[in-house]
Amino acid sequence: MLLLDYQNVLIESLLRDRLAPDASPSSVDQIVSDFDNVTFHISTPESKSKILVSITIKCWKELVTYGAQAILDREYGPYIVQPEQGYDFSVQVDLDTMASKPQEEKDELVRRVSLLKRNAMAAPFEQAFDEFASLQDQAKNYSSETAPQGVREGGEVRAIHYREEEAIYVKASHDRVTVIFSTVFKEETDRVYGKVFLQEFVDARKRGVQNAPQVLFRHDAPMELQGQPGLRGGRGENVGYVTFVLFPRHLTPQKRDETISHIQTFRDYFHYHIKASKAYIHSRMRRRTADFLQVLRRARPEEADAGKERKTASGRTFRAQA
Amino acid sequence: MASQTPAVVMDNGTGYSKLGFAGNDSPSFVFPTAIATKGPAGGGGGTGSGRPAVANKPNFLSGGAGGHLSGKRGTEDLDFFIGDEALTAASGPGYGVHYPIRHGQIENWDHMERFWSNSIFKYLRVEPEDHHFLLTEPPLNPPENRENTAEIMFESFNCAGLYIAVQAVLALAASWTSSKVQDRSLTGTVIDSGEGVTHVIPVAEGYVIGSSIKSIPIAGRDITYFVQSLLRDRGEPDSSLRTAERIKEEFCYVCPDVVKEFSRFDREPEDRFKKYDVRQPGGRSVTVDVGYERFLAPEIFFNPEIYSSDFLTPLPNIVDTVIQTSPIDVRRGLYKNIVLSGGSTLYKDFGRRLQRDIRHLVDARIKDSEVRAGGQARSGGLDVQVITHKRQRHGPWFGGSLLGQTPEFKSYCHTKAEYEEIGPSIVRRFALLGGPGST
Amino acid sequence: MSQSLRPYLSCVRNTLTAALSLSNFASQASERHNVPEIEARTSPELILNPLTVSRNQEERVLIEPSVNSVRVSLKIKQADEIEHILVHKFTRFLTQRAEAFFVLRRKAVEGYDISFLITNFHTEEMLKHKLVDFIIQFMEEVDREISEMKLFLNARARFVAESFLTPFD
Repeated sequence: MLLLDYQNVLIESLLRDRLAPDASPSSVDQIVSDFDNVTFHISTPESKSKILVSITIKCWKELVTYGAQAILDREYGPYIVQPEQGYDFSVQVDLDTMASKPQEEKDELVRRVSLLKRNAMAAPFEQAFDEFASLQDQAKNYSSETAPQGVREGGEVRAIHYREEEAIYVKASHDRVTVIFSTVFKEETDRVYGKVFLQEFVDARKRGVQNAPQVLFRHDAPMELQGQPGLRGGRGENVGYVTFVLFPRHLTPQKRDETISHIQTFRDYFHYHIKASKAYIHSRMRRRTADFLQVLRRARPEEADAGKERKTASGRTFRAQA
Repeated sequence: MASQTPAVVMDNGTGYSKLGFAGNDSPSFVFPTAIATKGPAGGGGGTGSGRPAVANKPNFLSGGAGGHLSGKRGTEDLDFFIGDEALTAASGPGYGVHYPIRHGQIENWDHMERFWSNSIFKYLRVEPEDHHFLLTEPPLNPPENRENTAEIMFESFNCAGLYIAVQAVLALAASWTSSKVQDRSLTGTVIDSGEGVTHVIPVAEGYVIGSSIKSIPIAGRDITYFVQSLLRDRGEPDSSLRTAERIKEEFCYVCPDVVKEFSRFDREPEDRFKKYDVRQPGGRSVTVDVGYERFLAPEIFFNPEIYSSDFLTPLPNIVDTVIQTSPIDVRRGLYKNIVLSGGSTLYKDFGRRLQRDIRHLVDARIKDSEVRAGGQARSGGLDVQVITHKRQRHGPWFGGSLLGQTPEFKSYCHTKAEYEEIGPSIVRRFALLGGPGST
Repeated sequence: MSQSLRPYLSCVRNTLTAALSLSNFASQASERHNVPEIEARTSPELILNPLTVSRNQEERVLIEPSVNSVRVSLKIKQADEIEHILVHKFTRFLTQRAEAFFVLRRKAVEGYDISFLITNFHTEEMLKHKLVDFIIQFMEEVDREISEMKLFLNARARFVAESFLTPFD
C-alpha cells in the first residue's frame, strides 16, 4: 500500500454489503475510530433496514465555524438526521428506499457516506479556496504596490486543532493557498526519520515533480502564523512546521476536490511511511542477524559421524554407536 | 490522547484474523491471516542481499498513484496485500500467498509485521500512537515470541500501550455474557475448535495449565471433508468443497443418538431431508439433497471412528482426561465451567450433547468409587456444565473486546515508556486482566 | 575496501588471535566457581593489558584479555544523527537475540556500541580462527549494513515524497 485511502473502508464495505441486491438486513452496532481523532458510530437503532452513521470529530466546533454544516448539507442533504446523542453529525441510510434505486446511485451513496470524515474536514479548505478565488479577482485590479491591505495580506488563518498537539492551518492569499501542518514527534527515532522524509518533501520539486505544491519545513512557526495562540517552536522542541504552498493550478474547480482529499491525508501518510520504513529495516536486521548466526555456526566444528543419523538401504534410520 | 480512544483488539489466528475496537460486540474485520507478496509462494524467498527480487511487472500499489513510480527499486516491501485481497491477488500472476501464522504461532515475523501495518493503517485506520492494543496469543506461546511482538508493536508502530492475552483466557471472559455464568471466574475448561485443530485447554484463575492441554486433530476442515465425501458417495450433482462448507454451516446439528436419528429421518423424511440450491459459476443452478450428513458430520467429534482411522478418542473423553490430569483442587471448577469457543462449536445442541456425555463419564466414575468404597462413602455429586453463548464464534476476540473496554484495562497495559525503560522482557509478565479484584 | 580498512582489520585479527590464548582457570576467590576473570576482576595478576585499535576518531576496537576470557568491544562509525539511530537500533536488535549468539555480551561496555565476551569454553567448543573470522566479518558487515540502511531510508523518503506530491499534478 502506497497511498492511504480517503474513505473509511469499514463503512464502505458495510454499506456495500447491505445495499447488495440479495443482502438481508441485519442489525449492527459498532463504534470505530478513524485517523485524526475521529470516531464513527454505525448502528441500526430503529430497524434493521435503517443504518445510522454518526461521526464525532475533536475539532468539530472549529469546523462548524468554517462552514462544515453547509458542506455536509450539500453532500448529504436528504440523508441528514438529528445528530445522535454524543455525536456531532449523523446521516441515515434507509435500505428499503435505496433498494429500488439503480446501482450507480447506490454506489454514489456508499462513496459519499464513506467519505464523511473527509467532507467534514474539507470545510476550512473549501472556504479558503473560495476566498482565494475572490482575492484573485480583486488582485487583478491592483498592482502589487497599490493593493489594499486586505488583498496583499490575504485572508485570515483558519486553524484546525485536529489532534492534541498538532494542528492544520489554512490561509488564502491572492496567488496561493498555504496549508501548514504542525507536527510533533513523540519519539527520537521518528523525529530523525521524519527529518529525512521532510527533507525529501522539500527537495521533491527541484527534482522532477515541478508542478507539485512547494513544501517548506522549519522548526519555528512560519510568518503566516504570527499571532496564532498556542504555537510552540524553536530548535529545542520536537515541533516542526510543514508548509504546503498550493498554487492556482492546484485550486482549479476540477482539481480542488482531489487536492483537498489528498492533502488531508498528509500527516497520516507521513507517519505511516515512517512506520513502514521501520518495519522494512526490521526485516533487514532480521535477515542480517540470521547471516551473522550462520557465520558463527561455522565456527563450531562439524560434529563427528557418531551422532549422525544413518540410513539403511530400505530407508530405515538408525544412530551409529560411538 | 490515548485515554479517550477505544483500544484496538486484534486476534490473529492461524486461519483468520479478527480485528476491531474494544466495546463492540463483533470484530470490524474478519479476514484470512494471509499476505500476498511479489514472487512465488512459500519459502523464505530471501536472497543474501536482504532484498526480495526486484519486480519487473507493473505493480498495483493501491491509491492509484502507481503509474510511473512503479517499478522503482526498493519499494517492493510496500507492494503486498493482506486478507481477502491477498487471496484475490494471489490467484492472478506475480503474487504468491503466505500464511505468517502456523499452528497458532507466528512463524514469519517479516510478513506479520507488514500484515499488522496494513491492518492498522488500511483497515482499522488508526494512528497507533493514540491507541492501546490488545493482542492474543495461543497457549504455550514462547516468551521470545511475545518479546518479538512487543518489539514490533512498540518500535515500529509506537503503540501507546500493549496487552497480550492468552486466547483461552479471553474465551472464558467471553462466556460471562451467558446467563448461566453467575460468578465471573477465570477458571474453566475451554474447548476451542477452529478450522484446523481443536484444543481443550484447562484454565485456573486465569492461568493456563499447560501440562494438561490436549489437542484433537479434528476440526472444521475435517467436517467439511466428511460432508464432501458423503456428497460424493451419493453422487450429488455438486460436491465442491464450497458446497460442502455451506451445507455444513447451514444444515448441520448434533443429535442425541445416531441410531434414533436415522430412524427419525426414515419416519419423517419430508421434515428431515433438505434441499440446497447451488448456483454454479456460469449461472447454472443445481439442487443438492441434504440427508444424513446433517447430524453425521458433527458426530465425528463424538464418534471419530466414522471419519478417521488413527484418532479414535471421542471429544467428551478427551475433556474428561484433561480435567482429570489437572490439579485436584481446581477440577470442580473446570467441570463446572466448560466453555465453547470457535466456529466449529456452533452446531445446534453441541453443548448439550457434550455436557450429557461428560456427565455420564463422571457419574460412572463416581458410582464406581462408591461401589469400591462398599457404601461407606457417598459422593455429593459433581456439577458438569457446558456453557454455550452467543459470542462463541469469535470468543477470544469478544473476550478481548469486553476486557479492553473496562476502565482499568489501560492500567494493565505496558506502555511505550515502560518498554523503553526495561526493554522487551517487560512483556513476559502481564497483570491478570479481569482476575480477582477487578470488575 | 577503503585504504585504511585493510590494515585496521588485519591488526584487529592479529591482536585477537594472540589474545585468544585462553586456559581453563578456576576462580581463586570462591570454591567451585569458574567465571570469566575479565568480568569478575577478582585479582589483578589475571588481567592482561587491554589495548585499543583505532582506525579513526569514531571507529575503534577495545580488546581486554585475561587468563580465561577476552572481551572485545566495538565502536561503530556514526557520522550523523541517522547513523547514530540506526547503529543504536541494530545493536539493540542483536543484543536482544544474544542468547543465540553465545559470544555476544548483553550490554555493551561503556563508551562502545557492542561487546563480545569470549571465554575458554567458547574456544574449546568452537574453532578459534573461525571465531576471529566471525568478529572480523561482523565488523566489516555492520558498517556496510548501516550505510545500506541509510541509503534505503533516503531512497524511500524520496519515493514517498514524490508519490505524495505527484497526484497534485
